[in-house]
Amino acid sequence: MAVSLSQIYTVTKYVLTQKIKGVERYPLVLMLEPLFRCNLECAGCGKIQYPDHVLDRRLTPEQCWAAADECGAPIVSIPGGEPLIHPEMPTIVRGLVERKKYVYLCTNAILLERKLKDYTPSRYLTFSIHMDGLQEEHDQAVCRDGVYDVAVKAIRAALARGFRVTTNTTVFNDADPERVRKFFDAMMELGVEGMMISPGYSYEKAPDQKNFLKRRQTKELFARILHQPKRGWRFNQSPLFLDFLRGKVDYQCTPWGNPTYNIFGWQKPCYLLQDGYAATFKELIDDTQWENYGTGRHEQCADCMVHCGYEASAVNDTFGSLKGFSRTVKATLLPTAR
Amino acid sequence: MGNPKVGNPANGSLEGRTFWPVDLSELIQAVDKAFDYRGDVTLELRSGERVKGYIFNRNAEATLPHLQMYLMGQAAPRLIPYSEIVTVSFTGEDTALGKSWESWVKKKESERKAQAVRVEADARARGHL
Repeated sequence: MAVSLSQIYTVTKYVLTQKIKGVERYPLVLMLEPLFRCNLECAGCGKIQYPDHVLDRRLTPEQCWAAADECGAPIVSIPGGEPLIHPEMPTIVRGLVERKKYVYLCTNAILLERKLKDYTPSRYLTFSIHMDGLQEEHDQAVCRDGVYDVAVKAIRAALARGFRVTTNTTVFNDADPERVRKFFDAMMELGVEGMMISPGYSYEKAPDQKNFLKRRQTKELFARILHQPKRGWRFNQSPLFLDFLRGKVDYQCTPWGNPTYNIFGWQKPCYLLQDGYAATFKELIDDTQWENYGTGRHEQCADCMVHCGYEASAVNDTFGSLKGFSRTVKATLLPTAR
Repeated sequence: MGNPKVGNPANGSLEGRTFWPVDLSELIQAVDKAFDYRGDVTLELRSGERVKGYIFNRNAEATLPHLQMYLMGQAAPRLIPYSEIVTVSFTGEDTALGKSWESWVKKKESERKAQAVRVEADARARGHL
């Protein structure tokens, strides 16, 4: 099982509590962006195109903890920018772990081996390593040779120290399904706890506009990638989201499921679109015109199938009906039968 | 929208342009463009003050329409009502310009390598590698 039982229990309890309370819009994963500065310039990334004085800004640990407290999501994902550049990242993580948040620190791993000594292994802390494929594909995606090897070395070091390690992979439309499957084999052989995959999103500001996937292409590609999944593959995400990617089930987006907090505030409406910022989480939830976003509602949402919008939909499906729950149980226990 | 100081550059970027909105509708459009722009913008205010910074938020539907911007060297963002704005100039570098996948591919292999080396050297100089 790719996700620990304690994490499954925590998330299940949280979601059921929200449902019992009748909360219509609840967050599942806080996307916490403490900085936008990165030590790579990947062609698919639309997060780092800012003037230097903006890239030099950082959220303080207190701001990060306040956001986690205010939002209340059981999981905190820390992307960026490159979080390991932030000098106070160990303090930020420590505070989140003390709050019993399941933290996914997303990193390109260039600095990871050097920084491991600053962190303590915990069931609440996972290093989520950006890996966009095997060596050739990954180094091309991050526009720098040698990064794949550095990341593999760092993963081994993190695992040796007892850390939870997962990978996060953006699948581009030029991906070769067989190469992606070999990549899954390689990551499992490396010993990571699980893998997270998602199609890319065509950021308006991202350099790589051409290589992002259209919706139909996405389903066809993922159907080929995930056809008869190998028994040894473990994915650190909802099995229903994987079914969604390969066109076996359809969902509407749940943009409030992964609310984003960064140096500008609470981002409206989601991790990918920037339609403005709210000063508080409550303002984000109460004042965003959610009905304007999602598939068929907004031109920039038309082709999006990204995890930050649809994984929460899949989780909601799991707990929203007996049918959804039984599909999840079946997909979890019999992954190769799908 | 009134009187851009320079013509639309061939590269499609707003960098270098100035807008003098003649009414609220044009002002809203100009601020929206500035909000989408990934570079610093200079605003000329009715007081004669010129403020340069990054516009990260705007609300044209508020009772008092306003924008928020980060000024270089100042920790807290500054809130500026639309009613104070006279001109909107795209004075900072457009950080999203020239980084398209097509331009990356079009570059010769040597240029791509040179760019990758520059990015790496920049990160190293900042102590991020």
